Amino acid sequence: MPYILNGDKDVKEMLKTVGVRTVDELYSHLPDAIKLREGVDLPKGLSELDTRRKVTALAEKNKTLGRYNSFLGAGYYDHYVPSAVNFLISHSNFLTAYTPYQPECSQGILQAIYEYQSYICLLTGMDVSNASMFDGASSAAEAVLMALRISRKQKIVVAGLLHPEYAQVLNTYLSGLNLKVVEVPAAANGAIDLKALQGALDSDTGVCLFQSPNFFGLIEDIEKISALAKANNTLTVMATNPMSLGLLKAPGTLGVDIVCGEGQPLGGSLNLGGPGFGFLAAKNDCLRQMPGRIVGKTKDRDGRTAYCLTLAAREQHIRREKATSNICSNQSLNAITAAVYLSVLGKEGFKSAAANSCANAQYLYKRLKEMRGVSLPYSNLFFNEFVWTTENAINILNRLKEKGIVGGYYLGKDFVNHKNAVLSCCTEKKSKEEIDTFINTLALILHG
Amino acid sequence: MIFERQSSPKPDNYFTIDPVVQGALAQLPVDFLRKDLDLPNIGELDSVRHYSNLANLSFSVDKNFYPLGSCTMKYNPKINEDMAGLEEFIGLHPYQSEADIQGAMELIFNLQELLCKVTGMSRFTLQPASGAHGELTGMLMIKKYHDLSGKKKTKVIVPDSAHGTNPATAAMCGYQIVVVESGADGLVDIDKLRAAVDSETAAIMMTNPNTLGLFEERILEIADIVHNAGGLLYYDGANFNALLGVTTPAAMGFDVVHLNLHKSFSTPHGCGGPGAGAVGVGKALFDFLPVPVVSKVNSRYYFDGNIKNTVGRVRTFYGSFGVLVRAYTYLLRLGKEGCLRVSQNAVLNANYIKEKLKAIYNVPYDKTCMHEVVFSCIKQKEKGAAAMDIAKCLIDYGIHPPTVYFPLIVKEAMMVEPTETESKETIDNFIKVMKEIDSLVGTDPQRVHDAPHTTPISRPDEVLAARSPDIRWKKIGA
Repeated sequence: MPYILNGDKDVKEMLKTVGVRTVDELYSHLPDAIKLREGVDLPKGLSELDTRRKVTALAEKNKTLGRYNSFLGAGYYDHYVPSAVNFLISHSNFLTAYTPYQPECSQGILQAIYEYQSYICLLTGMDVSNASMFDGASSAAEAVLMALRISRKQKIVVAGLLHPEYAQVLNTYLSGLNLKVVEVPAAANGAIDLKALQGALDSDTGVCLFQSPNFFGLIEDIEKISALAKANNTLTVMATNPMSLGLLKAPGTLGVDIVCGEGQPLGGSLNLGGPGFGFLAAKNDCLRQMPGRIVGKTKDRDGRTAYCLTLAAREQHIRREKATSNICSNQSLNAITAAVYLSVLGKEGFKSAAANSCANAQYLYKRLKEMRGVSLPYSNLFFNEFVWTTENAINILNRLKEKGIVGGYYLGKDFVNHKNAVLSCCTEKKSKEEIDTFINTLALILHG
Repeated sequence: MIFERQSSPKPDNYFTIDPVVQGALAQLPVDFLRKDLDLPNIGELDSVRHYSNLANLSFSVDKNFYPLGSCTMKYNPKINEDMAGLEEFIGLHPYQSEADIQGAMELIFNLQELLCKVTGMSRFTLQPASGAHGELTGMLMIKKYHDLSGKKKTKVIVPDSAHGTNPATAAMCGYQIVVVESGADGLVDIDKLRAAVDSETAAIMMTNPNTLGLFEERILEIADIVHNAGGLLYYDGANFNALLGVTTPAAMGFDVVHLNLHKSFSTPHGCGGPGAGAVGVGKALFDFLPVPVVSKVNSRYYFDGNIKNTVGRVRTFYGSFGVLVRAYTYLLRLGKEGCLRVSQNAVLNANYIKEKLKAIYNVPYDKTCMHEVVFSCIKQKEKGAAAMDIAKCLIDYGIHPPTVYFPLIVKEAMMVEPTETESKETIDNFIKVMKEIDSLVGTDPQRVHDAPHTTPISRPDEVLAARSPDIRWKKIGA
């Protein structure tokens, strides 16, 4: 029997100690009506070898992104992860430990998380970070709820082009609460309509949520948005791609109050979209309203540096229905992955991952701009992805795929007014040859 | 601390870029670019040493007996890791076409089906990221169900032994929490429950066995009381390891259930996550699950967004897929027989510990327990060592402490969950150690109070940590 070490002799002795004759007797106080007479309706268990065969057969039905020349991003990114990263985070003691509730035998984990929090603060320019959230979307939703607790207001402004799935998750999170959400659309240039934003902010508005780079890849005027919000006593929550912070100014230096997003670009694999992690960082005065776990540095009884989980009085196991959130398990291992990734790449390596992603995308943009039959509707600055359009885009994407190219994310899926729009992304993994091949193949499809 | 390391080797070339392409960067307006990013740069070998050494400081299931109550720290089979690490899984982008990811979708579909079978539920979503996230999903579905029926439902009932996530979740859904006290037998007091339930009761959130490790024997009566008032039953599956293959939440009358795949289904906890909180529903909530689920037509799998009263999406993409691969692999290995062996051995191990230790450590509710046993260290407390002291003392014997001070209704609580994967030999050693510690409490309580003695640090000052929070590194002088 897999994974059971008690042999017949052991079981016999244990039953005797417990004072029953059979294991079934341990369940004799359960109502008969609820017991499964025939057991659970599953097939017979498989040997390890047969299990391996069966799961591997499923895996082999897939065609991974790596088998294509791919320009797909839209919230999950195919960056290069140095071998050392996965090697380190596969360590048994990281993989098979629980939440570090007992600090004396979890110092390594606690320090790794403290370092993760520090990395996130450095990247975002924020004062404080928690130990992780589930994903970018839940992190954004929790950030909004946190901002409302702090501002004690009831209205939320969602401005500009937020990732559609983030907007959907936010709506779900808010569905049990009686709050007001107002959407401020993007202007024709793809960026937040600042006039409309100003009009939407009123004395009830507790929080303004926006994304930069936004879903179309464009960098917003973060400073102006923050200033408008601040003038109205409204907190700003900015969702961002952490990789962009290797190149772009930190939101903390531009007046943003809370920064959140999906951490997968920092060393995470694609994994069909999970597990990644959400990061959540904020200005100091938000600290006691943060959701989730936080690791703090302190002293032990002998005056040595020590780490422990802290500010637990915010959390559900202490505060119950008055907790800042119900979150318990988070995505620790993925957060530690991010720290390991940043450490292995180091400052220069991380900066070049960001810069090269941007350079590749800028180069692709330039090449597309030169092509007849392709339009580039937005001229604002972008980081690693941007929108282009062409007649009958969906058909063009299909034809590219026949040639082994995933040209990007088809925006017509989510935006009825963008039926011919594609969001294309580059990471540092793209070579010039791959980009040129994309361009040449597209030219052939468009112009024969 | 990595930020205080001095070395600064030349950067390694993990990737390169063509100079022509790099030229494209020159056009970026400098106004947007940062100059302040000062990350450490210690090189690959020193990074490897840094994290290897950190890992070595920590206890884990692979190294230590880890009887952490309520957390089901069972062995995490290594084949699960191999399968989850297959390139054909980890290399899939969530926005690839359905044609490219049929194998992954089949796995999701199959796991949905298997979980329906082990719980008796009709339909599953694998989207939620954790137990608490599953609770939120389930309770938002209940909320929508009542809203659509037009009945005024304002309250959620939670037993006083419940996990903290239960009341916290109900509050996030805008509900008022009504706490029902446990009776002298440690079970839900039926009379008090009856008094608490009324026409505005939306639901009861329960775990069974409860957090005392006791089976709620009158569960069918509880279900009737709540259902008759128009409420629904939420099953917190944190303790499902006790019942796998023995009964199902559906048979007990529950309408919605979450399963912690990182507990009963053997996926590793990763220092606190990632987990997965799969949610299953019966008839009442069949049309309320988050979108999308994976459905099948002929032999093709597709993302099905067509759920009439869906509560909406609860996370991006399709759940923690890597965790799902592990849970699926585990269930294939177990099969029908294996499921039953899991719960039987988990329950036997817990009862064995209870019998062996009950003369020394008080058992507040001395009857057959399920997968975990809750002791009360009141006798030891009188002699000068609290539950926390005993917990810390276990560390010196290489054993991870059990959960302490939970459930809240037991004084000096110590909650021991051995799981089914531990051998009698390991458990006998734990019993021996617990007896030794009790003797030590009698002879040298100060030594217990000062434990642990073998760890890199002694007990940290948690009050100081909370009073003046230092939660990130800062450059000296910054």
